[in-house]
Amino acid sequence: MTGHPRSPLGAVHLSGVQKSYGKTRAVRDIDLDISPGEIVALLGPNGAGKSTIIDMLLGLTDPDGGHIRIFGEAPSLASSRGRVGAMLQSGGLPSELTVLELIELITALYPVSLPADEVLERAGIADLASRRSDKLSGGQKQRVRFALAIVPDPNLLVLDEPTAAMDVESRQAFWTSMRQWASSGRTVLFATHYLEEADTFADRIVLLREGRIVADGATTEVRALAGGRTLRCTLPLADLNDLGSLPGVASVSVHGNGVSMTCTDSDATVRALLGRYLEVHDIEISGAGLNEAFLALTATPEEVRS
Amino acid sequence: MTGAYMRSEVRRKFRDPRYLIFALAMPLILFGAFGAAQSHNHLSGITVAAYVMVSMATFGAMSSVFSTGGAIAFERAIGWNRQLRITALTGRAYVAGNGLAGFAVAVPSLVLVFLAGGLLSHVHLSAGRWLMTSLSILLALLPVAALGIWVGYMAKAESVQAISGAVYSLLSLLGGLWVPVTVFPHWIFEVIKALPMYWVAQAGRQALIGSWVGWQGVAVLTAWTGILAMFAARAYRRNSAKS
Repeated sequence: MTGHPRSPLGAVHLSGVQKSYGKTRAVRDIDLDISPGEIVALLGPNGAGKSTIIDMLLGLTDPDGGHIRIFGEAPSLASSRGRVGAMLQSGGLPSELTVLELIELITALYPVSLPADEVLERAGIADLASRRSDKLSGGQKQRVRFALAIVPDPNLLVLDEPTAAMDVESRQAFWTSMRQWASSGRTVLFATHYLEEADTFADRIVLLREGRIVADGATTEVRALAGGRTLRCTLPLADLNDLGSLPGVASVSVHGNGVSMTCTDSDATVRALLGRYLEVHDIEISGAGLNEAFLALTATPEEVRS
Repeated sequence: MTGAYMRSEVRRKFRDPRYLIFALAMPLILFGAFGAAQSHNHLSGITVAAYVMVSMATFGAMSSVFSTGGAIAFERAIGWNRQLRITALTGRAYVAGNGLAGFAVAVPSLVLVFLAGGLLSHVHLSAGRWLMTSLSILLALLPVAALGIWVGYMAKAESVQAISGAVYSLLSLLGGLWVPVTVFPHWIFEVIKALPMYWVAQAGRQALIGSWVGWQGVAVLTAWTGILAMFAARAYRRNSAKS
């Protein structure tokens, strides 16, 4: 499914990676290779394992099993040498320091760094240099955190839900500067649960569900993987389990007499449906958007059959 | 690297109202209110003014050194420590930088109260004596630094302020910083002598008259430093375990 070169010297290499917290298996047996220059989205609902994977890539958490290499190095070594920069999800900023002081601090903590004024320039926050971080708006804070992430001039940028607190406009601006940054062949890996964001900004989507990769490929491939059809019909007293067992059905939901099914093979589904339920009517089949693909691929069975 | 981090922490503390109030303003005000005028009466072989001066300087320095706990708890709460962990700053350097910053900002706490003592209450000492008094207090505050780091890794950011307030009050009271220990009944005094804070103030007072804290004091302070450092180290390891 990947269709990407598997090289241990790629930007990111994970094989057989596992991680549990107590009885919760956050990440189960993940294999993932990312080549330099790729922009990859880790897409999945909350609890799919995105943040755990990111923590392991940065060396903040050790996997229970498996192997991780960042540019051929152990994650914590790659991080401390400044080959990886990161915007973490919970990344608050100490309120007593100005933007410039924050950048100068992080600059001093890497063996090699960009000059502070260049960091300010690249992040587009030169005008905020003397502003204290508690006087920044949400979007400005995010740009400061982007600035901190690029201090060591990293080859890989890891972003955990980077635009979670942004409005549409700042999100757009953020991704424009990200594209610009990545254009010189640098690698970006970002976690998100926004579909459109993954669709618009990533070259490749890695779809996660319950700690497993359920799809991995170019955006269009992932969309196609879901079969791309939604079947709606009217069917009184429908049984969820019966419907779910029809061929080509990925997920079912029922609202009163209305039934909606996400299908991987809608032709097979509709044949079986008509054969089994004589009372079925108002059948409507539509091409699924990325939203439906996402739902079909990431939803757990219990969630959908409710 | 530790140096750069420490300087940044010191800068932050100087902009933190809690530091300015508890470690700088309050000791000075309390000294002015209770001790400054008493340069003729004597207590434990020194003037009351000198006695209260050392008590208040010790209180300010203790607040400074203990502020490490609040800093660590806060940085954990906002995730800033994670941002630092992905740099080349090691976990040990982080703790060391935080601890050293606490001692660095304790120096102004001491200097301010000592200046007031010298200028207002005629506590006149040689430069060497002032220096020895300061160093004795700072060295004796090692168990408080360990306590601060421990609390920093155990407490939540919301509760660390309340905990700090309780710790300041308890340590000050049990160290005879607010009330001279001589007013306590004998058995309480015995308990106090088994706790570290009395000896911190005592280290300062003894250095002031050209003596030293004595073996009992050194033993108590060393034991408490060892115990609290062990707790701090365990909390630190649990917190930064990569699991």
